[in-house]
Amino acid sequence: MNEEEGKMGVSRRAILAGAAVLAALAQPAFAQKGEVVIATTGGLMEKSLQEHFYKRFEAETGIRVRSVPIELPDQWARAVAGARSGNVPFDIVTATPPDLVQRKDLLAKLDCARIEPNALPNSCFEHGLMRTAGGMTLVWSSKAFPGAKAPKSWADFFDVKNFPGPRALPETGDREWWVPTMALIADGVPADKLFPLDIDRAYRKLDTIKPHVAAWWKSGDNIMQIMRGGDAVMTMSYSSRSVPLARSGDFDFTWNGAIRDVGNWAVLKNGPNTKNAMTFLEFFVKGASEHVPFSAKVNFDSNNREAAGMIPADERKFRPSWPDNWSKLVIADYEWIAANREKLRERWTTWITK
Amino acid sequence: MSARRPSAFFLGGRHLSEAASLALLVPFALLLVVVFLLPLGTLLHESLLVPAPTLEHYERVFAQPVYLRVMWRTLRIAFYVTLVALLLGYPLAYVMSRSGGLKLGLMAAAVLLPLWTSVLVRTYAWMVLLQRNGLVNEGLTGLGFVDAPIRLLYTEGAVVLAMSHVLLPFMVLPVFSALKGIPDDYPRAAQMLGASGWSTFREVIWPLSLPGVVSGCLMVFLLALGFFITPALIGGPQQMMIATLVSQQVREMLNWPFAGALVGVLLAFVLALTIAFNRFIRLERFVGTRS
Repeated sequence: MNEEEGKMGVSRRAILAGAAVLAALAQPAFAQKGEVVIATTGGLMEKSLQEHFYKRFEAETGIRVRSVPIELPDQWARAVAGARSGNVPFDIVTATPPDLVQRKDLLAKLDCARIEPNALPNSCFEHGLMRTAGGMTLVWSSKAFPGAKAPKSWADFFDVKNFPGPRALPETGDREWWVPTMALIADGVPADKLFPLDIDRAYRKLDTIKPHVAAWWKSGDNIMQIMRGGDAVMTMSYSSRSVPLARSGDFDFTWNGAIRDVGNWAVLKNGPNTKNAMTFLEFFVKGASEHVPFSAKVNFDSNNREAAGMIPADERKFRPSWPDNWSKLVIADYEWIAANREKLRERWTTWITK
Repeated sequence: MSARRPSAFFLGGRHLSEAASLALLVPFALLLVVVFLLPLGTLLHESLLVPAPTLEHYERVFAQPVYLRVMWRTLRIAFYVTLVALLLGYPLAYVMSRSGGLKLGLMAAAVLLPLWTSVLVRTYAWMVLLQRNGLVNEGLTGLGFVDAPIRLLYTEGAVVLAMSHVLLPFMVLPVFSALKGIPDDYPRAAQMLGASGWSTFREVIWPLSLPGVVSGCLMVFLLALGFFITPALIGGPQQMMIATLVSQQVREMLNWPFAGALVGVLLAFVLALTIAFNRFIRLERFVGTRS
């Protein structure tokens, strides 16, 4: 789940989205002439998609892209209502990996054979196509831990003796499985044995660090603020925030044990322009030269087989899809998470409010 | 005393027909039904009857300690906020009721201006004051009271303080109008009969201002129960209040039935408390007027 998607509150975007949907309903003529309705979380993501993909797609295929900026919960609420009433509001939606499992019934099957040749390995699924990828990384202050004293893994996050100083953890997004998963990695569970999560063991480990957690971040901006203000010297962070922090020179981060954090495209069943939606997905994974600047802009890596190879050498450490980094990412078992979501959240809330 | 207070169905001394008074209530009743009762009813309906009649969501609220803990904390914080608002607000309202002209205007502005500022702005102002390198900490270290910045933000004290500030006007205004309604003759008569300043306050002014105090306390308490922004920003997860939990269920978990159950339990608590409070206060007033 990309961080933009974790924000709370009804925003201007939601209102704009409502307006866009109304406009779409008011002009059925366009739907027949060929368009595709794409829902994303707006902001920088939407702007960059427009610049690097939508415009070229319109020029090449003559299919108009109607971009709808909307928060994820609102997007799903509308998709569910649309499936019930038969008036499906979007063709393409933004989906987190758990969404691909939990909302399977709403989603159309993709023809991965036509997409895969241009996409990253293992990035096209039955109901979704990886759009952007990053990770939940360990980031630290290089003033507190300079040079050889730098932490190397999640285990060091829990080692307050050798790495003293206040910690920060997320209280937003998918923390109910991010944080326990991270705790188990730190406790020495191998990446392929993590799931199903040993929740009791994870929380026993987390109990040891809780007194040292000085701040709980609620958004990406919040991470930057907490780290720059010195309220914490180490935190779990979206890689899209770790990268700019590391570029500034005062901080550093590692992909080691980072939990892969993916945003997907998915196609709604019975949408107004399903065929165009499939055409767009095939188009999206092409054009390596557009993926490179797009990824740099949104601080997430997009999905193209050759783009990773075009990254300049000094940039590679910042890019999750660079093979050395990609192989270090931990991939969660989303089926298990989807089936245990309520329980995981309840345990998290119990622990955090104690 | 009751003769001085205009009853709801009198207007300028003329009796309104029942039909006319009902007609005047229709717009508000409609608003209440559409924007309050209907959504609340939908949520409660989801919590009890969708897809089939069930109590499982309510069972979960009581079976897992975390929900009652957060609810209890919410009640406790709301109680502290009410207490602080009363302690700060009553003297202020008292002075206001005894002043006039420019002095009253300035005090009224001081109370009302914050009310016209967004809660968000006021909350951020508290964050700036209380944060690690904030004004309060700099003042304390600068004056040598503490050696290192102390943790003020993300504590229950900070939440209570900021919420009391935000809700203060809702205490001051009803108390002020109750105090203003006490004729000057009453305390004067008490003093002529030999009562000290303190017993005048205790025997005359306090009992007569009690209706204002009750409505102020009730208003502040109920508003505090549902507070969302201030505890989310000023408090840490250890200060999480019930509104945050409900919003997480609705917006992140998309679990409306369970959110409805949380709301239902809170609503039952609040109703029970309000009824109990009313009973108690009536008794108190009865005793107060007799002695």
